[in-house]
Amino acid sequence: MKKNKTMKKIMLYVALVIGTLVSLFPFYWAAIGATNTSGSMFTQPPTLLPGSMLMENIRNLNESIGIGRVMFNSLFTATVYTVLALFICTMAAYAFAKFNFKGRNTIFTIFLLSMMVPYHATIIPLFKMMAALNWLNTYQAIILPNLAYPFAIFLMRQNLLAFPTSLIEAARIDGAGEWKIFFRIVLPSMKPALAATAIFLFLYQWNSFLWPLVALSTTDMYTFPVALSTLFGLSRIDYGQVMAGVTIATIPIIIFFLLLQRQFISGMLGSAVK
Amino acid sequence: MKNWWKATGLAAAGAMMLAGCSGTDGGSGSGGEDGETTLTAWAWNVNVGALEDAMALYQEENPDVKIEVEDIGRLDVYDKLSTGLAAGGVGLPDIVLVEDDRIGGYAQAFPDGFLNLSEKGFEDNADQFPSFKQDLATVNDSFYAMPFDAGPGGMFYRRSIFEEASVNPEDIETWDDFLEAGKKIKEATGVAAMPLDKFNDDPTFRMMLNQLGTYYFDENGNIDLTSPEAVMAMEKQMAFEEADLIKEVDGWNGTVSATIDGSVATIPFGAWYYGTIIDQAKDTSGDWGVFLLPAFEEGGNRASNLGGSSWMIPSGGDNEDAAYDFLEFFSTSPEAQVIAMEDYGLFPSLNAAYEEEVFTSEDEFFGGQKIWELFADEMADVETPYYTEDYALGLDEAIKAQADSFNGTDPAEALKAAAERLAERTDREINN
Repeated sequence: MKKNKTMKKIMLYVALVIGTLVSLFPFYWAAIGATNTSGSMFTQPPTLLPGSMLMENIRNLNESIGIGRVMFNSLFTATVYTVLALFICTMAAYAFAKFNFKGRNTIFTIFLLSMMVPYHATIIPLFKMMAALNWLNTYQAIILPNLAYPFAIFLMRQNLLAFPTSLIEAARIDGAGEWKIFFRIVLPSMKPALAATAIFLFLYQWNSFLWPLVALSTTDMYTFPVALSTLFGLSRIDYGQVMAGVTIATIPIIIFFLLLQRQFISGMLGSAVK
Repeated sequence: MKNWWKATGLAAAGAMMLAGCSGTDGGSGSGGEDGETTLTAWAWNVNVGALEDAMALYQEENPDVKIEVEDIGRLDVYDKLSTGLAAGGVGLPDIVLVEDDRIGGYAQAFPDGFLNLSEKGFEDNADQFPSFKQDLATVNDSFYAMPFDAGPGGMFYRRSIFEEASVNPEDIETWDDFLEAGKKIKEATGVAAMPLDKFNDDPTFRMMLNQLGTYYFDENGNIDLTSPEAVMAMEKQMAFEEADLIKEVDGWNGTVSATIDGSVATIPFGAWYYGTIIDQAKDTSGDWGVFLLPAFEEGGNRASNLGGSSWMIPSGGDNEDAAYDFLEFFSTSPEAQVIAMEDYGLFPSLNAAYEEEVFTSEDEFFGGQKIWELFADEMADVETPYYTEDYALGLDEAIKAQADSFNGTDPAEALKAAAERLAERTDREINN
């Protein structure tokens, strides 16, 4: 019986190790590509060991896109977006979860339905709006349009539903204002959910490509993904640069995730148990 | 109490930061002080440098004109251009690079979106370019684009593989000759004749069609996939498949991979593939050569073209005239075209450029062969491929026809079915 259990555990770990390797391999491949020449991406058998070209690839990449500037653009827009969107979405979610008002569910449903509208369908009207505001090629053009992110509102609402309404009522009876209840009583217990939502929002903005591409028009305003896409010509692609860029672009996400990791995992568990 | 003040304070600070930092002005360039003009342009990859260098040359006579070129990914240019045009022409540059197969589509979909160059007198320059480039830049009898680079076709081959099988590329004149040579090479070295992404792309078929003076559509815009020429081209490609001479590859990267590892003896592509070979296969210097696509019959046409692009001027900008003037200089200056060719590998379509020294020079990477002369001599004979604004649909159906052929359907049947689907999707007539 005991042996059977051990066997099961071994099988489980083997499966997990394989899964881990499969998930990590693309990152490893990108990192290896960043240290080799462009041509070595295509050799048979594939090059799987680090080469000595890392510094040269980074130097070339910097010459092509200006790493510092695009990194700043991406970090700045993603950070400001995350802070603002988290604030707005959480307040919206709180209203949807804890206030009773006419049409609440209808509005919420419309919000959720808007997730199904393909983003491409809204690009031209949005572009016209930004042009009318003279906001093309500005930071606010890529930060503002998606501040009310339906999925984030949904995620926060589901978490807030679990918050005991009686606590809120008790606070009201004790004379606390609505802002105070929201910030001092509700939010502190929502840290895991907030962390999880923040990661989603940050990732969303960090990876966002089509809208920044369309809205930004000078190289000094490009975000990292848009700048990386300029490396793809018709027939001449330096994969060493591409891989160096891809590797660098994943570093901030990893750091951001590690910072919020503990909250994130407990947040995932929290919503899984419900 | 303190905490929520902090939070709102943070949000307010964020909002203020937003308001405070607006980027530099986008859109079309502005006439600055002192009569200075700054043109803006969108282009991708090596074309950016070529345009900047051309401007440096232009400034010798026109010191008050400048250019800001935005480096944008090739397909991304179209996303931005389409969005700007659909929004009524906002945020567009003074100059934009467009591939030849898209010119017709853009000019038809946005008739007022681009400057009619004929009205500015570009007609006078027309005969400086090969006839097919003239045709590609013309929509409804007016020029809408200035011809830039081209992709005259060739068979890029590995000398060592041909030598090992004792095949002389100079003896290959027809596709049938090449088929026999391919068999001999396969037997001696085990190497396939050419690569192809059988189910996803049809560059060889397209070059063959171009060689035979046809394409997905004819000059009247009718569907021409069922023409005897198209059937002949597809059958020829299948003959190589039946002899097991086609190596299946996965997209562009697969083709490059096969090029580097020597698992194919030739790669039929446009002249621009030169840049890829010398960049990615540095260790194989001297082992390369080029010969023209074999003809379908002895003495038949061997000229073909794959790819190429031209410059367009979105209309309504403040700098239309300045943009026209600069582009006219760039397009018709042999000096500027040779810089684009030598420094960036962009093969010019300006006839006068072919008189320059580089076109008679020997290329070391290609075993001392005068490859540029070979490509240049081909240009005058290239037939016009009629892309039309439905090119993307035509490509889609042609690839399906190719895939069906490789899956065992008779090529004539597969092409007929594709032509019918294409007629359904485009409301166009089928020839025959």
